[in-house]
Amino acid sequence: MKSKTVKKILTVTMSAVLATGMLAGCGGGASAGGDDAGSSAAASDDGGSSDAAADDSAAADDSAAADDGAAADTEVAEGDIVDFTFFGGMPGTEINSGNNEIQDLIAKKTGVRLKETWLTGQTVSEAIGSIIASGTYPDLIDGGDGCQDLYEEGALVAWDEYLESGKYPNLSNYYTKAEWDQFRQDDGKIYWCNVFQNTKGEPTGTTHNDEAFWVQARVLAWDNYPKIETLDEYFDLLERYAAANPTVKDANGNEMDVIPYTCLCDDWRYFCIENAPQFLDGYPNDGSVIVDFDGKDPTIVDYNTTETAKKYFKKLNEEYAKGIVDKDFGTQKYDDYIAKLSNGNVLGMCDQYWDFMQINDSFRNTGLENEGCNYVPLGLTIDKGMENRWHTYGDTLNVASGIAVTTDCADPDLAFSFLDKMLDQDIHNLRFWGVEGVDYLVDDDGLFYRTPEIRANISDPKYRADHLCFYSYLPQYGGTSDDGKNANLPEEQPSEFFDGLAKPLQDCFSAYGVKTYPDMIGSVKEDVNATHPWFPMWSYSNNLDTSTEGGIAWTKMGETKHEWLPKVVMSSNFDAEWDNYMKAYADCKPEDFLNQMQEELDRRIEAKANE
Amino acid sequence: MEENKNVLEVENNSETKASAGTDKVKITGSHKKMKGGDLAFNICNGIFMVLFCVITLYPVLNTLAISFNDGVDAMRGGVHLIPRLFTTENYEIVLALKGISRGALISVLRTVIGTILALAANALLAFIVSQKNFLFRSQLSLFWVITMYVNGGMIPVMILYKNLHLTNSFWVYVIPGMVSGFNMLVMRTYMEGLPYELQEAAQIDGAGYMKIFWNVITPLCKPIYATVALFVAVGQWNSWFDTMLYNRMADQYTTLQYELMKMLSAVTSLKGNASAATTGQTVNITPISVRAAATIITMAPIVALYPFLQRYFVTGLTIGGVKE
Amino acid sequence: MAGDNKKKGLAVTKKELIKQKVLVIWTVVFVIYGFIFYYLPLVGWLMAFQNYKNKTGFFHSKWVGLTKFKFLFSDATFLRTIRNTFCMGTLNLIFTTVMAIVFAILLNEIKSSKIKKPIQTISYLPHFLSWIIVTGILSDALSSTGIVNEILHNIGLVKDTVPFFSIPWLFWPIVTFAHLWKETGWNAIIYLSAITSIDPSLYEAASIDGAGRWDKIKHITLPGIKSTIIVLLIMNMGNLLNAGFEVQYLLGNGLVKSVSDTIDIYVLTWGISQNDYSLGTAAGIFKSVVSIAIILLANGAAKRAGEERLF
Repeated sequence: MKSKTVKKILTVTMSAVLATGMLAGCGGGASAGGDDAGSSAAASDDGGSSDAAADDSAAADDSAAADDGAAADTEVAEGDIVDFTFFGGMPGTEINSGNNEIQDLIAKKTGVRLKETWLTGQTVSEAIGSIIASGTYPDLIDGGDGCQDLYEEGALVAWDEYLESGKYPNLSNYYTKAEWDQFRQDDGKIYWCNVFQNTKGEPTGTTHNDEAFWVQARVLAWDNYPKIETLDEYFDLLERYAAANPTVKDANGNEMDVIPYTCLCDDWRYFCIENAPQFLDGYPNDGSVIVDFDGKDPTIVDYNTTETAKKYFKKLNEEYAKGIVDKDFGTQKYDDYIAKLSNGNVLGMCDQYWDFMQINDSFRNTGLENEGCNYVPLGLTIDKGMENRWHTYGDTLNVASGIAVTTDCADPDLAFSFLDKMLDQDIHNLRFWGVEGVDYLVDDDGLFYRTPEIRANISDPKYRADHLCFYSYLPQYGGTSDDGKNANLPEEQPSEFFDGLAKPLQDCFSAYGVKTYPDMIGSVKEDVNATHPWFPMWSYSNNLDTSTEGGIAWTKMGETKHEWLPKVVMSSNFDAEWDNYMKAYADCKPEDFLNQMQEELDRRIEAKANE
Repeated sequence: MEENKNVLEVENNSETKASAGTDKVKITGSHKKMKGGDLAFNICNGIFMVLFCVITLYPVLNTLAISFNDGVDAMRGGVHLIPRLFTTENYEIVLALKGISRGALISVLRTVIGTILALAANALLAFIVSQKNFLFRSQLSLFWVITMYVNGGMIPVMILYKNLHLTNSFWVYVIPGMVSGFNMLVMRTYMEGLPYELQEAAQIDGAGYMKIFWNVITPLCKPIYATVALFVAVGQWNSWFDTMLYNRMADQYTTLQYELMKMLSAVTSLKGNASAATTGQTVNITPISVRAAATIITMAPIVALYPFLQRYFVTGLTIGGVKE
Repeated sequence: MAGDNKKKGLAVTKKELIKQKVLVIWTVVFVIYGFIFYYLPLVGWLMAFQNYKNKTGFFHSKWVGLTKFKFLFSDATFLRTIRNTFCMGTLNLIFTTVMAIVFAILLNEIKSSKIKKPIQTISYLPHFLSWIIVTGILSDALSSTGIVNEILHNIGLVKDTVPFFSIPWLFWPIVTFAHLWKETGWNAIIYLSAITSIDPSLYEAASIDGAGRWDKIKHITLPGIKSTIIVLLIMNMGNLLNAGFEVQYLLGNGLVKSVSDTIDIYVLTWGISQNDYSLGTAAGIFKSVVSIAIILLANGAAKRAGEERLF
């Protein structure tokens, strides 16, 4: 399910993951590679995501940014540096502002030092609501879901005159005109810009930050790296492995019973159990619905009631009865789940990568990564020979939120110049790679790389607070940098990525002849923006609220599924329980929701046609 | 009537409570037929208390153990009373937090000032509504009781504070929550239980209400003052939500709890530190272990404060009991 | 006749007023304070009758009358959360009150302060653990590999493990136990304080008369703290519908949703997450009104019984 709650919490979590994950990722902490900043952002808008792919604006950006790269060399004296404040409507890690080396370097180049404050203990809308009520705004703000409220309150500065002034070429070229137009509010002006999923140069796409069925590398190795394409094959493999290896060793060498498959159903994270049917049918993550357009007008289909959904839950039900599915799956909390995974005795599960990636560090520390405990994603479908779209290629433009300048900012020109300079290649490198010779080295071919010592440094929280300064919610690029060689973000650097993998993972990748996680999944390579012009539908369903019939149905559907799905899986009489579930589900009036989605789908297709 | 009887006895008894306690044991001991029953009672009570303490203490000690345990290691579970992989890293992380000393200072200030103000205001209010002859006694009570169960919601309160210029200021911590229906009620109940004759006598001597409040009632109320002070102090010390709402952008007024909160919400998604792989050391922080350290740091000052206040619970009455 | 009485009454009032001048002045101060900080924000209740949006504020949002209330009371889920909240609130109230009193009395029976003080200090420590830690420990203990299942298994009570958190009828007792565990010592503070104010000579007199421990508890201690018990009880009855959010949220799961969701969780799901402040406010008003009604009833009952009361 993709309710609004889910989305908000996701946004919140993902942003935090983004803020910290980039660091840990480039620190080589994640043996499975760092997460991809771009797709993190997409996932934050609900698991829907795509890794970097060709972007129309890339070429234009390239040259402009290159021109500007050298321009920022004049240093600003300390006394002239202006302190700006920023509020991010998502949790994040504060750096040691005012005492951070790279922040100071950037301040000297831009004349601005930005003090970042993040969301704590509140939802975004509560926070934005209280900021609006308090009437005092920070200079810069990323209001998340509250952007619209800020705009309606008249708290934001319109970008148009600054973009048109020609003084900020990086910003102007950050998006194409058509893309910028999508940011326009009902008064026809632009008030913010999203900073993620913007590929410059060539996409490198090393990571899969999204959903998949995952399996431990050692399970694949044990069966000599078989080709696993369907749900049945997947569970068959787990069953056989568990039968042959009823216990495994934990980090201290103690025997533990194997848990072949677990499934998280905790609160909003129960997407782990509920949304697989859309992928199993070969559709991309439209989130709330399937859009069927095979040889007809695109039509909304409810993935909760398809034959595939029933087959999938029946399979889980059978496997639960066999003892393959974790006995505690229905009641475990997220913390329990993570603890279980990091023990190394869970063979497989279905989840979003960002939801569990921290266990890779645990595996590294305990040495379990050398036992092949790390998880590999599989692009499963319900039947053999189907296409899969677990991984989506292409940038997803999220126009709903982004960085904005508020009316309380005393010097908007300086603010825009600051945002503009964030895209200068040298500052971009400072933000994400760090200081040359200290945080990364350059080999003879001009490729950036890091030594294990540097990676260790970079994953040290203290070092990060005192030295690194990502400004992670300011404009940034994915893809490759102006030199055409290096990735803009360290975790997207293919060599850096592969070197950071544990040995069993490298073996596994080699056995399948792949270099990256997306290759491992083998999704259809297509620019999702071209093939699915309405994608992603979640950007609409996420904004539903109880003021419409569809929104009410949507929330009720979520509640019902959350209660019934674990029941169905644990039931001793699947068919009867499934019928009961379907009855309860029908009582939520899903048709109200589906009709509303269809209207939106038609609207989007028409809008695209008129473009 | 019943009260009258009590008073007389109070006045006749000049012993301190502590010594009365020992006397009682002696007296009871002298009655042989009671002894068996008492012994059984004591044994049952003892067992109950031991069980109670074990069950109660465990989570606290467990938290303490986890706070000194390596984070990633703790995630595997099985850490009970003794850290398995000892480290002070969790505390180092928390204490190295920027702004933690300033936050602690603000927290101490708000706790001290807030407690004093709340105590004074609630005591005075309780005194007023404890006056049996006071004309608006029950209306005033009701007025405050209602406040315990209604609230206008976050946004209206926010707008109000903004207009009172309480936002972005220290005073938002101590002014708005100063009087509370609950504290007023427990104090009033206590005051009403005091011998009315004491006040009557003072009134005959020509003392005004304020003088009675200060010279007669307050000295008698130390136990309840101590209790309420503890309630208020704990509330003040632990609260962070108001900081976030009203002083988010005013760095100089953020409290310790808020700084800890910020760190915890950031650490929730923190990965364990990967340096182990390269340096051979295990320095791993996880939300669980850092949260435990933050909990212990939060608990410590209040736990230290409590025995100090507890003294008054026991000795409080001996001071005022013989006052005429 | 009637006129006479009235005149007389007025005269008395006037005289009394002058006498109580200082009390009246302070009363005015407290009423002004209370009005500003507690009653003025109630303007916010208007939100429940509007389709409140941040942009328009409550002075310009669209009025929708009772729509939000109608939505609430036609929603079976909401009615279910009322039941859950009320039942859990009642269980918590009864058990925590009884347990705190029992603990306070038993502790008071320990005469050696060397034993008594440490026990009391230990007893209130869990109050400082956040719910997230307490529920974490509780779910560990009750998990299929937890200590409770281990004990049950070892003494042969159960063959298979008991999945405590997937059995709906066990959820309320677990929540009650969690509250008992965390708050007994803390709640007992106020009763202990009340017990210390009981005149010690009463006990001595009783001892001389040959009264045993139980007699003294029954005839001296309990009557001595009766007023505290009643006042706290009345007061806490007003909080029946505030049975909570965190515990249920942290301990609940999909399987027990039908018994674990409280009004506050409902408000979170439907109100805050959906930006529907109006719906959340409507639920809040419902809670306030019910709370005040319960308080008035309880207070009235106490008054009729001739007991101590709130007001």
